[in-house]
Amino acid sequence: MLTFAFRKLLTLVGTMIGIAALTFLITNVAPGDPARLVAGPNATEDMVATIRSEYGLDKSLPEQFSVYMGDLARGDLGTSIVTTRPVLEEVMRYAPATLELVFVAMFLGIIVGVPLGMLSAVYKDGPLDHVTRIFSISGVALPAFWFGIILQLMFAVDLGWLPVSGRLPLVTRPPEFYTGLLLVDSLISGRFSTFWTSLQHIILPAIVLSFPCLASILRVNRAEMIEVLQSDYIVAARAHGIASYRIVALYALKNAMLPTLAMIGLRFGWMLGSTVLVETVFDWPGIGLYAVSSALSSDFKPVVGVTLMIGFFFIVANTLVDLAYAWIDPRLRRA
Amino acid sequence: MTEPLLDIKDYRLHIATFDGAVHVLKGINLTVNRGDTLGIVGESGSGKTVLVRSVLGIGPRNSKVLQGSIAFDGQDITHLSEKDWTKIRGIRISMIFQDPMTYLNPLFTVGRQIADVIAAHEKAAVNGVSSKAARRTRTEELLDQVGLPNPSMLFSQYPHQLSGGMRQRVLIAMALAGRPDILIADEPTTALDVTVQAQVLDLINSLVEKLNLTVIMISHDIGAIATIAKRCAVMYKGEIVEQGLTSDILNRPQHEYTQRLLAAVPDIDAAAEKLPAEPAATEPAKPGILLEAIDLKKVYRSQSGAEFTAVNSLSLSVKTGEIFGVVGESGSGKSTLARMLLSLIEPTSGDVIFDGTNITGLAGEPLRQMRRHMQFVFQNPHSALNGRHTIGDAIGEPLRIQTSMSRRDIEARAEALLDIVQLPKSFKYRYPHELSGGQKQRVCIARAIALNPRLLILDEPTSALDISVQAQVLDFLQELRSELGLTYVFISHNLAVIRQICDRTIVMKHGEIVEQGRTENVFLAPREAYTQALIESGRKTSQAATLRPGS
Amino acid sequence: MTATSIETPVETSVEANRPLTFRERHASQIRQWRLYAHMFRKSFSSMLGLTLVVLFLLLAAFGPLLAPYPEAASGAINMSAKLQPPSAQYLFGTDEMGADIFSRVIMGARTSLWIGVIITGLAAIIGVPLGIIAGYSGGWVRAVIMRITELFLAVPGLALALAIVAALGPGITNCVLALAIVWWPGYVRLVEAKTLSVKEELFVESARSIGAKTPWILWHHILPNCLSPIIVKISMDMGMAILSAASLGFIGLGALPPAPEWGAMISVARTYMPDWWWYSLFPGAGIFLTVLGFNLLGDGLRDILDPRTRDR
Repeated sequence: MLTFAFRKLLTLVGTMIGIAALTFLITNVAPGDPARLVAGPNATEDMVATIRSEYGLDKSLPEQFSVYMGDLARGDLGTSIVTTRPVLEEVMRYAPATLELVFVAMFLGIIVGVPLGMLSAVYKDGPLDHVTRIFSISGVALPAFWFGIILQLMFAVDLGWLPVSGRLPLVTRPPEFYTGLLLVDSLISGRFSTFWTSLQHIILPAIVLSFPCLASILRVNRAEMIEVLQSDYIVAARAHGIASYRIVALYALKNAMLPTLAMIGLRFGWMLGSTVLVETVFDWPGIGLYAVSSALSSDFKPVVGVTLMIGFFFIVANTLVDLAYAWIDPRLRRA
Repeated sequence: MTEPLLDIKDYRLHIATFDGAVHVLKGINLTVNRGDTLGIVGESGSGKTVLVRSVLGIGPRNSKVLQGSIAFDGQDITHLSEKDWTKIRGIRISMIFQDPMTYLNPLFTVGRQIADVIAAHEKAAVNGVSSKAARRTRTEELLDQVGLPNPSMLFSQYPHQLSGGMRQRVLIAMALAGRPDILIADEPTTALDVTVQAQVLDLINSLVEKLNLTVIMISHDIGAIATIAKRCAVMYKGEIVEQGLTSDILNRPQHEYTQRLLAAVPDIDAAAEKLPAEPAATEPAKPGILLEAIDLKKVYRSQSGAEFTAVNSLSLSVKTGEIFGVVGESGSGKSTLARMLLSLIEPTSGDVIFDGTNITGLAGEPLRQMRRHMQFVFQNPHSALNGRHTIGDAIGEPLRIQTSMSRRDIEARAEALLDIVQLPKSFKYRYPHELSGGQKQRVCIARAIALNPRLLILDEPTSALDISVQAQVLDFLQELRSELGLTYVFISHNLAVIRQICDRTIVMKHGEIVEQGRTENVFLAPREAYTQALIESGRKTSQAATLRPGS
Repeated sequence: MTATSIETPVETSVEANRPLTFRERHASQIRQWRLYAHMFRKSFSSMLGLTLVVLFLLLAAFGPLLAPYPEAASGAINMSAKLQPPSAQYLFGTDEMGADIFSRVIMGARTSLWIGVIITGLAAIIGVPLGIIAGYSGGWVRAVIMRITELFLAVPGLALALAIVAALGPGITNCVLALAIVWWPGYVRLVEAKTLSVKEELFVESARSIGAKTPWILWHHILPNCLSPIIVKISMDMGMAILSAASLGFIGLGALPPAPEWGAMISVARTYMPDWWWYSLFPGAGIFLTVLGFNLLGDGLRDILDPRTRDR
């Protein structure tokens, strides 16, 4: 098990290097001239040339690449043109907000998706199954940005139950920094009213973000449960007189959890990607919003920084999923 | 006389499908008394599995009982509620299954799975659940009872760490956990090797004696039934055509189907009926060797670097016109050998010489040319045909690849080939899934002989088929050989089949030849202990057992 | 080589020499298609999906004929009619330039269709061959292809596409290109996995044993057996590609106004919230129904094409 974990760690590092190379390729081999993009449409040739040398863009590609990788190894993601601050510092500042949003959304997706999938598999072709089927397919088809706007209209503007956007009202002083996750920090510092406010703020974006995820977890779990429930060993368990609820909740669920876990890992990455949409709609100060506003002002260092960061979170999540896999499935534990 | 333990009366059941309802069971009448050992014999599609599963209330989906009833110990269990079943399933009636790999949950330890069954039974009996330690003790007892060594270590092992025979014993232990009144055994030996089959049958027999079990065993293997069951019933197309004492049925079969079935079972103790066609007659000038393997060796290397020798320094020579048998259990390397002979797998070292040409190391065009002369017939006809090609395409494929015949000529040739393998011409428009196993194997043979090869390598060509179909295909293969002047390398785990048709035979174990010689000599006077054990185990599952019913 | 001694066991041979009719020759296929049609018709959601997709295709084909104000799509300005609520004259209301939103939504169907077709088409054309090659050949070829594929899959698609568009510059062509670049690895992984399992089938070995060359095996044996999941994925991906392009349009990096693209429309509409709610409602509904249609269709196709989920 330990060697297994160690091997996974090595793969993690390797993939990270690969992603770094990939982002380099994308930003540098692209036909556009990044310097001209940065300089803007009205820049003179001189200005473009200055920017080019300033960014090291006049060097050869391999040279640029080694500089880029060297910077990365030192944790230097470059500087934002708009804010003139180091990208790493800004990404670290915005990342907790995104992670908090994704964690809450993932939590929602799992606690609703897994039981619903299980129930609709057990009562296959029943009324609940039909409802969840429609629900799960429309969940994937909903445009997150549009859904967000509709929810804002209904619950924030019309009903006034929840705040329209943001993480905390401007007047509220954020709690002391422990983890960067407001829900956690406010609890640690004992400020329950702040906890309540930030919970109210996170509900709508988390629902929007978790909806497609919930839908696909539900689908996978349902499909796997149906298949597992028809498998020989479940037939055998029934034949040996083990109670139905035990078969479903214990035996079959564990078997069906394997593909569901894979889907959870996959959807974690998808959510990280979708934060660019949801954070834009809800003005959520995370790395997604940071990437979008940088991209719109042709400030591509932050965009690359955020891409790397999202890739990193995704790989870590996948590694955790792999470990969970091995923990559940004894056949993977060998070697 | 007390009332029977199990009483099935005029039981009819159908399954709904797209093409309409299929009547799977048509008026089954069957009684089992306490202490009985009943065997149910039948080929695939006879409905025997559906029948015994109905007894446990785990029949197929979309099935409907039309008529009749099943009574267990005086209680009608035909339409029992799921809740009432929990008092019967696994406790009073329990079951062991065909394939021990798929019937154990891969994610839980062996001990946990058995202990859970014990807990479930205790809960159903309303006696309260015993302590974890007590269940563990009981589990280890059960494991010991089915002859598994070192139960306490086994307790915490996972199914994938056990061999097939051990898994089957675990399943038996699980079935015995509730001290059942009836034990149903659904093809308990089919997925196992010959020697392991014999051990499992012995185990069931000893348990019957020790625990005074009532057993219903279903099997397509009459030998296995004869070893276990005192009474037996023969099922055919959803009906019981004949039932009575096993010895009576085996010695004096009344129904025409039973007679056909018994005649089709190859007999390990009988010499080949028809003497093989004289091989020398076809090619007198060259009485020589068609295929030769010299010092063949295949070593597989796993990802972790461990080496596994599948075939080790093996030499053999096949004479022109003979049927050359290769016998071995699973893992003996016989399939690897077959594929090396055809250059489908590259040997690690050694040579294969076909008609004077060394074919190892051939590649590209010369190898393609060579393939015309030697063809392969695979074990499983169900997956040897591409489901997306029509039968006509499948038979025509070798011609399209190897010759420049026109499309129309190929069509005509495919029809002629269908004729040779005794299938109607209209089959060329059909798809494999519409054909039966025997028909598919005929198509595979037609495909193999399309290019007029000289050598056919047959890898367990009948082991996926029913017994009566197996007999037909074997007869047909012999006819074909004398007509086309072919040479066969015939690979099988079934000794009776080998004895029936092979001229010379080698016995393989762990990638090496244990014994070789003329088939008759090997069977009548085996020199090696392994060969003797193999033949002895084979007897239990062959017609030979019918001579000593219930022994 | 005659079979005179052997009797044909099945069917009478009286009519055997009569040429078979088309119906008889293709009886197997006809039955298969009837079974498919039966299963498809039986499922409400599949039929709903098919209806939505057909509706969408009709809109895309005949949009200019159906739209009451076709000039609205090309950015015609009519300030006197700006931001009017839905009415009989303007079914979905008008936007800040006074253009008819109903017309723009209809015209948007064609934009979305070609976005979807190009993205999934490019992705499949790149991904399917690579997947088959990787799955069948093994060794270092497979290692190289799969490592690169995994790298692409290691970054969430939308984030990677955003980075690519940021480098290329905004615009609909760049957006489609970026999405195609992040989309093909999905096909490689699907087809590679399928190829790995198909290649273990005996019929592939059987084809090798009769001397078939690799291209023959790939074309006649591997590809046909990989087709079902590819078809299902293409159907699903049409929807998801349209959704992703609309997402980039919403961010402001995809289609730029006044192009009639649903995502870009919502992007502008967002600034007119909440008073002019109809502006974002209808384009969004267009995206939702289109994506839903393709997903339901793909799901229905999976049910009939994938034998794992088939009961008979």
